[in-house]
Amino acid sequence: MCSITKEAVFDAISTVIDPEVGFNLVEMGLIYDAIIDEACNVHVVMTLSTQGCPLHQMITTWVKEAVERIEDVGDVEVEVVWEPAWNISMADENVKKALGGM
Amino acid sequence: MKAISSDFAPPLKLISPFFSYGVAFYLLSMLALLFFKPSFAYAQMDVAGWIHLFLLGFVMMIIFGAMAQLIPVVLEAGHAVVDVYYVIFPLLLIGTSLMVFGFWLMPGILPYGGLLVLIAMIIFAVENIATLKKTSIRTLTIDTVAWSNGYLLLGILTGFAIALGLSGNLGINVSLMLKAHVYAVLGGYVVLTIIGLSLILIPMFSLAHGFEETAINRAFKLVITGVGIVFAGALFAQEWLMFIGYAVNMAGIFFYIWQIYIIAKLTVRKEMDIWAKSMIFAFGTLIFSIMLGLLYFIIGKESVLHASVWFLLLGFISSMITGHLYKIVPFLVWFERFAPLVGKEKVPMLHEMYSKEGASMMYWFTTTGVVLGGLGLLFENDILFKGGASFLFTGAIFLFITMRKMLSYGK
Repeated sequence: MCSITKEAVFDAISTVIDPEVGFNLVEMGLIYDAIIDEACNVHVVMTLSTQGCPLHQMITTWVKEAVERIEDVGDVEVEVVWEPAWNISMADENVKKALGGM
Repeated sequence: MKAISSDFAPPLKLISPFFSYGVAFYLLSMLALLFFKPSFAYAQMDVAGWIHLFLLGFVMMIIFGAMAQLIPVVLEAGHAVVDVYYVIFPLLLIGTSLMVFGFWLMPGILPYGGLLVLIAMIIFAVENIATLKKTSIRTLTIDTVAWSNGYLLLGILTGFAIALGLSGNLGINVSLMLKAHVYAVLGGYVVLTIIGLSLILIPMFSLAHGFEETAINRAFKLVITGVGIVFAGALFAQEWLMFIGYAVNMAGIFFYIWQIYIIAKLTVRKEMDIWAKSMIFAFGTLIFSIMLGLLYFIIGKESVLHASVWFLLLGFISSMITGHLYKIVPFLVWFERFAPLVGKEKVPMLHEMYSKEGASMMYWFTTTGVVLGGLGLLFENDILFKGGASFLFTGAIFLFITMRKMLSYGK
C-alpha cells in the first residue's frame, strides 16, 4: 500500500513556478489530477495556460522532477491535456485578484 | 499529447544579434530623423534611405530574430536548418548598411547592398517554407506564414529590380515598381506577419482564452487578397485595381482590430506593464493611421498621407515590436541562463529582468515623440517635427540601454 497522498503530490508541484506570471502551477489551477497507484507510481494530469507555450517541455520536466523528490515515489508520468481548456476561474482567489481578472 | 515546441528553441547566441543590432538600427533611424524636414516626396533618395534603415535595419531584423524563435512555437516543428540564421544575420546587416549608404551617398552601390539583402531574404523565405513542409498541422496562421513569405519574395525581387533601375542597369518604370515593392513588403510581409504573430502572442501574454476567431480568419483572407490585388494593379499600372485592393485591405484591417477588441474583452491580466501600454498605444495609432488614410483619399493632401504612414510605422509597427521585446528578450535570456537552475537555486521572474523605470522612460518619450512628429508632418511644421524626432531619439536611447541590460542579465 502506498502512503503518498494526492495532497503530497500537489504540495511538491506547488514548488514549480511559472516565470512569466510568478505563480505556482497549483495555484494557477493548471494541475488537474494526480493518480497514484499501489506501487507509488504517479500520473500527473495537467494543462498549460496556452497551447503555444514555448516552456511546454520545461514545465512538464520541472513537474516530473518535483514529484520525483517525494520520498519512496515510483515512476512519474506527466500528461498534458487541453480538455478542459484552462481559464482563470480555475485559479486560486489570490491569483485572480493579483492578475485583476475577477 | 501535442508536440513540444521548446525542443526546437534556437540558442540565444543565434537570436540575440538580431535584437541587439535591430535596436541599434532603431536608434540610428531616430537619430537620422533629426536631419529631415516635415515636407518631402517619397521618391527622394534620402527618404528612401531612411525607410530602408528603419524597415530593414529595425523592423526586418527584429522580425527575423523573432521568427527564428517563434516559427517552432507556431508550427510545433523544429527549423529545417536553423543554422542558416548565422548566415542571414551578417548578410542582412551588411546589405542594409550598403543600401542605406547607397541611398544617401552613393547610388552605384545600391545593387550590391540589395543583392546581399535579396540573398538573406531568399534564404530566410526558403528555410521558412522548408520548415512549413515539416509540419502536418494546417491552420490559417500557418497558411498566413506561407503567404507572407511568398509576398516577401515578390517584394525583394521588385526591390532588386528598382535598385538595378536606379543605378541605370535595368530599364523599368521605377515609380510603378516602387508601389508594387512597398505594398508587397509592407502590406504582404510586415503587416501580415505582425497580424499573424500578434494573434499568437497577445492572447498568450494577456491570458485571454476561448475567443471566437471568425474575425481574424476574415482579416487574414482579406489582407492576403487585398495585397495581391494592389500588387497586380501596381505592376500593370491599373489604378482602379489598386483602389479595390486598398478597400479590401481596409476591410481586413477592420476585422483584425475587431478581433483584437474581442481578445481584449477576455483579457485576464489587467496589469499595465510596458507590454500592455505599448499594445494600447499601437492599436490607438493604427486606428488613427487608418482615419488619416481615409481622409487622404477624400481630400488628397500629401501631408495627411505622410502622417498616416508615420503613425503606421512609428506608432503601430514600432510599438508592437518594442512592447513585445520586453516580453520576448527576457524570456530568451531566462530560458538560456536560468531555466537549467530551476529547482536548484532561486531564479528571477521575467519581469524582474528589465528596468521598469528605463522601460517607462522609453515609452513616454517615444509616444510623445510619435504624436509630436505626426502632428509636425500633418501640419508641415518643422518645430513640431523636430521636437517629435528629439523625443523619439531620447526614447530610443532608453530602449537601447534597457535592451543591452536585458541581454547581459545574469551573464
